[in-house]
Amino acid sequence: MTYDAIVIGAGHNGLTAAATLARKGARVCVVEKNAKPGGMALSGTLDGVEMPRMAHLVYNLNPRVLSELGLSNVNLKPLKTVSLSPDGNHVVLDGNRATRVDGTPHPEATAYAARYDDLKRFSALLAPLAERSAPGVSFGGRKLDKFSELMAAARIGLKLKLLGRRNMREFLRILLSNVHDYTLDELSDGPIAGAMAADAVKGSWSGPRSPGSVLSLMYRMSGSGPAHVMGGIGKLTEALAEAAQSQAAEIRSGAGVARIFVAEDRAVGVLLDDGSELRARTVLSSIGALQSLKLAGVEHFDAETVTRLRNIRTKGTAAKINLVLGGVPTFSGLPSDLLGARIVIAPGSTYVEHAFNPAKYGEMSEAPVLEIVMPGQIEPGTTQPDRHGMSILFHYAPHDLEGGWTDAAHARLLDITLATLDAYAPGLRQLVVASEVLSPARIEAETGAPGGHWHHGEWSTDQMLTTRPASGLAHYRFAVRGLYLCGAATHPGGDVTGLPGRNAALQLLKDGACA
Amino acid sequence: MGTTDKYDAIIAGAGHNGLTTACYLQKAGLKTLVVEKNDYVGGAAVSRELHKGWTYSNCSYVCSLLRQEIVRDLELPRFGLQVIPYEGNVTLAPGGEYFGAYGNHDAYRREMERFSVKDADAYDRFSRIIMRQCRFIRPFLLRTAPDPTSLKPRDLGELLFMIKRMWDLGRREIDETLRFWTMSIGDMLDEHFETDLIKAGTAGSGIIGTGLGVYSPGTAYVLLHHYMGDVDGSVGAWGFARGGMGAITRALAAAFTEAGGEIRCGSGVAEIRVSGGRATGVLLDNGDSFQAPVVASNMDVKRTMLKHVGREHLPAAFAKAVENFKIRGSSGKINIALDRLPTSDTLPDNGKLFCGDYSCTESLRHLEKAYDEWKDGYWSSQPYFDMLIPSKIDPTMAPPGKHMMTVFTQYAPYDLNVDGVRSPDNWNEETRAAFAKSIFDRLECVMPDIRDCVVHAEVRTPLDIEREVGLTEGNIFQGELTFDQLLFNRPVPGYAQYDTPVDGLYIVGSSSHPGGGVMAAPGANAAREILRRKGLGRRMPKLASRWEE
Ligand SMILES: Cc1cc2nc3c(=O)[nH]c(=O)nc-3n(C[C@H](O)[C@H](O)[C@H](O)COP(=O)(O)OP(=O)(O)OC[C@H]3O[C@@H](n4cnc5c(N)ncnc54)[C@H](O)[C@@H]3O)c2cc1C
Ligand SMILES: Cc1cc2nc3c(=O)[nH]c(=O)nc-3n(C[C@H](O)[C@H](O)[C@H](O)COP(=O)(O)OP(=O)(O)OC[C@H]3O[C@@H](n4cnc5c(N)ncnc54)[C@H](O)[C@@H]3O)c2cc1C
Repeated sequence: MTYDAIVIGAGHNGLTAAATLARKGARVCVVEKNAKPGGMALSGTLDGVEMPRMAHLVYNLNPRVLSELGLSNVNLKPLKTVSLSPDGNHVVLDGNRATRVDGTPHPEATAYAARYDDLKRFSALLAPLAERSAPGVSFGGRKLDKFSELMAAARIGLKLKLLGRRNMREFLRILLSNVHDYTLDELSDGPIAGAMAADAVKGSWSGPRSPGSVLSLMYRMSGSGPAHVMGGIGKLTEALAEAAQSQAAEIRSGAGVARIFVAEDRAVGVLLDDGSELRARTVLSSIGALQSLKLAGVEHFDAETVTRLRNIRTKGTAAKINLVLGGVPTFSGLPSDLLGARIVIAPGSTYVEHAFNPAKYGEMSEAPVLEIVMPGQIEPGTTQPDRHGMSILFHYAPHDLEGGWTDAAHARLLDITLATLDAYAPGLRQLVVASEVLSPARIEAETGAPGGHWHHGEWSTDQMLTTRPASGLAHYRFAVRGLYLCGAATHPGGDVTGLPGRNAALQLLKDGACA
Repeated sequence: MGTTDKYDAIIAGAGHNGLTTACYLQKAGLKTLVVEKNDYVGGAAVSRELHKGWTYSNCSYVCSLLRQEIVRDLELPRFGLQVIPYEGNVTLAPGGEYFGAYGNHDAYRREMERFSVKDADAYDRFSRIIMRQCRFIRPFLLRTAPDPTSLKPRDLGELLFMIKRMWDLGRREIDETLRFWTMSIGDMLDEHFETDLIKAGTAGSGIIGTGLGVYSPGTAYVLLHHYMGDVDGSVGAWGFARGGMGAITRALAAAFTEAGGEIRCGSGVAEIRVSGGRATGVLLDNGDSFQAPVVASNMDVKRTMLKHVGREHLPAAFAKAVENFKIRGSSGKINIALDRLPTSDTLPDNGKLFCGDYSCTESLRHLEKAYDEWKDGYWSSQPYFDMLIPSKIDPTMAPPGKHMMTVFTQYAPYDLNVDGVRSPDNWNEETRAAFAKSIFDRLECVMPDIRDCVVHAEVRTPLDIEREVGLTEGNIFQGELTFDQLLFNRPVPGYAQYDTPVDGLYIVGSSSHPGGGVMAAPGANAAREILRRKGLGRRMPKLASRWEE
């Protein structure tokens, strides 16, 4: 039989694309190389404890994705952020409020609120950009497209104007500026600035001093704020899978794609690793751009496009450490009711910048930036008393580690993590019952993400909008007819947002590609 | 108590931009006075005899950005300005390798092929991109940046001009341009080339004078600030002002005085007088005071507003924005009187025939590491050098048979870190000597006998540069060249048209659009705005053609 669409990869974007298409009546088949759908947003188990394998929170999950697909069973629990300070003066960030752990206002609360409110306002302004195909000057193209694009641009321009002069100026000033200066102009180089810096650079090959980091912070702030998916991040991808399946979409796990068939300049199906073939009118790929090109065959792309795709920067910097602890850890100066917060170790913007330095030279941070989530503390009652999961994001661990990601390197990464944690939570190391380390190399091996990169390609100003994944390919259409990209490598980029998948599906439908 | 005199306009500071503004105001019929704190004019474009017989261009040392429209309009050659183009650049790696970048295209390619045929092929593509970007940006230099929040016809017109120029590029080029403007020079070079030395040699121009590293987004744009100039119409070429960079400001000063203007050197502005929200004149350190309804400051915006105007005259938000203006010093310099030419064995024939500039570096990685040290308040242990021996081109710079050499070094901090404390006060004889030693040690790797050739050397830290020229924190561009401080953001959003919240007070130096370098564009643009506001716009010659190139 011939499907209307085959989706390569059952990460949350592939699933979103599939569900979106299926709801419009398309016959869809999702093929996933791994045994379980989910991609980077997957729940796994470690020593019997359920744990977010890679992605552990949502920051900017797009509400439209949930409502359009009717995912009413996905419940988000917004989390406070605790930014730890080595002197015990931790800060609790909750929306635009900054307090001490005892609830009293932080001395920098007003300055923080002003910065937060600005960023929030500006990210809301940019949000519509993310919810559609990148605006482009589509020379040629359909008149209607051109018009609606112009209208979209005009709407943003108008909204910008409506923000008033002061805001418009501030927006245009900070748009491409760096988060280090942006925060330190108003705040001290402490845990508040550190937490903002950490949020800005997460998943990137950049530090807070890198121009453009304010924009990535706005991107990350364009949603609900850090939130836990009740039941674990895997619940989200499961719900997406169900939404797709309920509309008769098929999901085939353990079915890696070896080739995308192209006939007469049209994508017509895929060849699976086991040698079987599937036919379809369209193919959507949620894996890296260059990787997709390789599946389709380089001969279908002009030399310039090939060069551009080769030049996409995919130097992954995030590692994941999952721990099972035999008891509830105690962080010095942190009341236990805050253990269910998102705990950040980034006690200053300079600290974050210093953590980035070694990554530039192929070394891992000795004083890393950590983001810690304890799902069992967020959803009490889901854990056994002597088994507590701790999910830790580690920055920076460069994909191109000097000497390679050997077992010793993984052990070293774990050791650095535990040493860092131990400084804030003395004795934590002794509680560790089980651990697993996912370096960018392992993430790449598991998900196929180029460079193990969080965004499947650096999220930077020169790789966004019309140049994401590359100039001339910005509208999800991928060189040959019927072939689309729908993953994090495309506009608006990575994070668990659902937008690339949704936008790609809508673009495909608009193009009438599987009609 | 000194004298009190009335003028139509007073220019605070006789840097090349202040003098340019002065020329245009005076020629438009305003009685103009220039006051300069130093005993000489020029600011960061000077020639000084700091050792008998030798002339040092002790700040800026090469010329390319200076807008030809201004040179022609003010007839600077008539006042002795002569720019001699020089050719080529050679990058010396301390390891003993060298890479020559020649003006002649074929020679350049051959040199690249010595390292990599692939790089030689990439070079054509790379230079086309740079050239296109130069063409794109040049017409903006002599225009006032539009205020995007304004609905005034002039602003809308300028905004449309920008959008139109962008649109005219076509889809592909728009993408390329957006990429170029936001990319790091390191990433850009990695895309094109594979040879470390070639990349490092080219990357220098992306970081000179900035507080950014080769892998900081935005540095590809900074590169343009070194390529968008020209010498006699040859875009991207660099030249040497005969007699040193002071020749430029001497010519400007001569043009100004010939037009009837007056320059007073030797006493700086202590206070810019403001009354009722209007600038009324200046008070000098020596007690003299002068009145004028127009005061144009050539000093950077921070110095002007916070030191000489005072917060009490400024809206709080504006004062805050000025305070947050990024103006970090990152460069140092050594000017050396040489007894003879130093040898550099690595170069064929000892580089005798080579008259261009030398840089010294080895890889992007080294450059980035040099930046990391600066971020923490240290000078780079393995800095990037840009060196020139101008006396090879211009014999007037040194006594017969002797030579003069300038060594520009990146990075050096303003607030030096000593034992964890960062402060400009940490610069003293001892630390300056240590700084100089580190530079000479590195120089010795590429010019082994350099120390034996030295007759006299002037060592300049960012603090020295601040003290002498008044460039706050020693920032050579009067403010960082990042997007948050470019175009309508420079120096402060809402005040990017040379004006300030104080009526009659203008910022005419490199703190304003289009920024630093010996370009004279800020000065000329500011003059146009000043005259326009006085209803004398017609007296300003039209410098920018509507469609350049
Ligand atoms: C360690 C880590 C932690 C993160 N934490 C967070 C977080 O807390 N919050 C957040 O918002 N974002 C987080 N992210 C980023 C976020 O997870 C990703 O940007 C996002 O999940 C990408 O989704 P995707 O569907 O585009 O791609 P993926 O999730 O990578 O899905 C791609 C899928 O394609 C499959 N595949 C690959 N090759 C083939 C093939 N040849 N044939 C068939 N299938 C194939 C893979 O197995 C995978 O299932 C994190 C990323 C990492 C690496
Ligand atoms: C070490 C160094 C090397 C450089 N190399 C180059 C190069 O090779 N090529 C290039 O194009 N550019 C170069 N530059 C940059 C360039 O020189 C400057 O950006 C440019 O000269 C600035 O000109 P300006 O007129 O805006 O300001 P300035 O030259 O800074 O002029 C300001 C003037 O104001 C005066 N002043 C300060 N305070 C007072 C006061 N209170 N009262 C009265 N007067 C005052 C100063 O003395 C000075 O004369 C270099 C700069 C430095 C520092």
